[in-house]
Amino acid sequence: MAETVSSDFEGDATSKPAFSLKNRLIGIARVSPTMAAGILIILAFGVMALFAEFLMPHDPVSAYHDRILQPPSAEHWFGTDGNGMDVFSRVIYGAKFGFGIAIPAVLLSIIIGVPVGLIAGYRGGLLDEVLMRFFDGLRVFPSIILALAVVAATGQSLLNVVLVLGFLDSPVFARVVRSEVLALRSSVFVESAKAAGNPTWRILFVHLLPNAVQGAMAQTAVRAAWAVRISATLAFLGVGIQAPTPEWGAMIRQGAEFMVTGQWWVALYPGIALILLVFGLNLFGDGLQDLTDPRRRAAK
Amino acid sequence: MSFSRFLLRRTLMVIPLLLGVVFITFMLIRVGGLDPVGQLAGPTATQDEFDMIREELGLDKPLWQQFLIYTGNVLQGDLGESWLSNRPVLDDMLERAVISLELLVWGIGLGALIGIPVGLRAAFRPNGKFDQTTRVLSLLGFSIPTYWLGLVMIFVFFYLLDWAPPAIGRISLMIFPPETVTGSYLIDGLIAADWEAAWSATTHLILPVVCLAIISAAPIIKQTRAIALEVLSSETVRYARACGLPERTVRKLVFRNSAVPIITFVGTELTGLVGTMSLIEYVFAWGGLGQYGLNAIVRGDFTAVQGYVLALALFSVVVFLIVDIIVHLIEPRSELN
Repeated sequence: MAETVSSDFEGDATSKPAFSLKNRLIGIARVSPTMAAGILIILAFGVMALFAEFLMPHDPVSAYHDRILQPPSAEHWFGTDGNGMDVFSRVIYGAKFGFGIAIPAVLLSIIIGVPVGLIAGYRGGLLDEVLMRFFDGLRVFPSIILALAVVAATGQSLLNVVLVLGFLDSPVFARVVRSEVLALRSSVFVESAKAAGNPTWRILFVHLLPNAVQGAMAQTAVRAAWAVRISATLAFLGVGIQAPTPEWGAMIRQGAEFMVTGQWWVALYPGIALILLVFGLNLFGDGLQDLTDPRRRAAK
Repeated sequence: MSFSRFLLRRTLMVIPLLLGVVFITFMLIRVGGLDPVGQLAGPTATQDEFDMIREELGLDKPLWQQFLIYTGNVLQGDLGESWLSNRPVLDDMLERAVISLELLVWGIGLGALIGIPVGLRAAFRPNGKFDQTTRVLSLLGFSIPTYWLGLVMIFVFFYLLDWAPPAIGRISLMIFPPETVTGSYLIDGLIAADWEAAWSATTHLILPVVCLAIISAAPIIKQTRAIALEVLSSETVRYARACGLPERTVRKLVFRNSAVPIITFVGTELTGLVGTMSLIEYVFAWGGLGQYGLNAIVRGDFTAVQGYVLALALFSVVVFLIVDIIVHLIEPRSELN
């Protein structure tokens, strides 16, 4: 399975052993143009986040008191907001929050979810039953509302947003890994590892993990999209991240009141940036899931 | 298995789930470092006053006792008092439930009306132009923040075009709401033959309902397509094709065989959409349960937050139950196992 994926990835590039981003992208674009588009969008936002300091024409939090709510112009491409801050610079800076929240949150979900899934799937029994019922219990709460309520209850800080998102999303990874472990648990290589006297942790992390982790990895991009979306929603409601932080959701919150008075640019641009990044992550994630799920590939 | 036995077994299965839900809701405000006592006492309270409030709320007892008391109260329908409105949380919520339900039902109804035919059509010609376009569009639908879409719609249809009424409430402030029968201004207006009220309620409904429909259509399209694709590759359909049945008959067959999983999915969607609905209510100042809950979260009214979260979870549990019953009734195969 792993081999078929990598040969798909490379396409014609197999004749050139040297790694080249351009060739890789062309290879991916042949298999799935939407996935390549997603990667390009993510890369563009990555550049924005890393080099924001060089790309911003203005300081994202310095207020020009004489230029409040100015429409887009040559000086302020996306106009200025209610405090007289440059919307364009703030939108660029916002990319830092998008990645800065999504990457650690997804990593945390993996760090919690993967071992839980490994152990639950391998051990089975009561532990597995209790864990799965607990995850089922969590599922009846709408994710946005649960995230909101927990962040509001545990204290509102950026760190808390990351912790809560990472924790609440860990069942996704636990479930995927668990179902793969269940299928592999009684396979020959696990039985022989056990017979050779390997300790349980070694069977779990050295023998099972590499074989069970692929499905979980396919989820990462879609879960990152979820984290970006939910963190922006929290900020829109003023929970966890407050204005005038140049975060997209918080900026939309600031711009909301001006939508009924006609100053559309304050809320419109951060929204478009948010949609593009989430869309890019979803396109990429959709492609990843297609590549790793043989049933979805067969349907094509 | 007879229907009544199925009903009994399925309903009994809900009990442990409900216990878990009450436990999670109970823990919700206890995991945090926040202290509801400080909030009630205010900044000038003395230590004695703090202790008094703590005792009054039962927070001085061990955690397991608190949990038993909380569960007992919930069973009696006592969800505590809201700190913002000074009224029982249950009363506050019951008043607003129908208002939200109206929005939710219209929204997901329209979403399903768009999503199911589009998903089916995409599945009939996988990887065709229509399929690829709708696939990208539905991924885009997954990516649009609900509240932003609502704001943009308000800007375009209220500010620019002046087609929609201002996004405050469910009926024009100039119009006297019709007599309450169902709680929905539109239906009540029609019942009372108060056309002006019914029309005003309709104009207020359109934007939030369309907004909710757009957001809910995306997952419905994706899921319907996947379900129909699976049915299309099933032996039933292959046999029908091999018999040379006309394409129209085959499509009918696919539709009938996809109906059960699609109903299951739309039902589950309904519960997931409650969060989206809350945000739409917040943007359109709808005044329903969703707005009440978000306000409680934002303002730190923890008794109300607890009640709201519990209510949403209960709603999910009930919807899952109803979906299972419907599926049991229309799925002939369920008789067998």
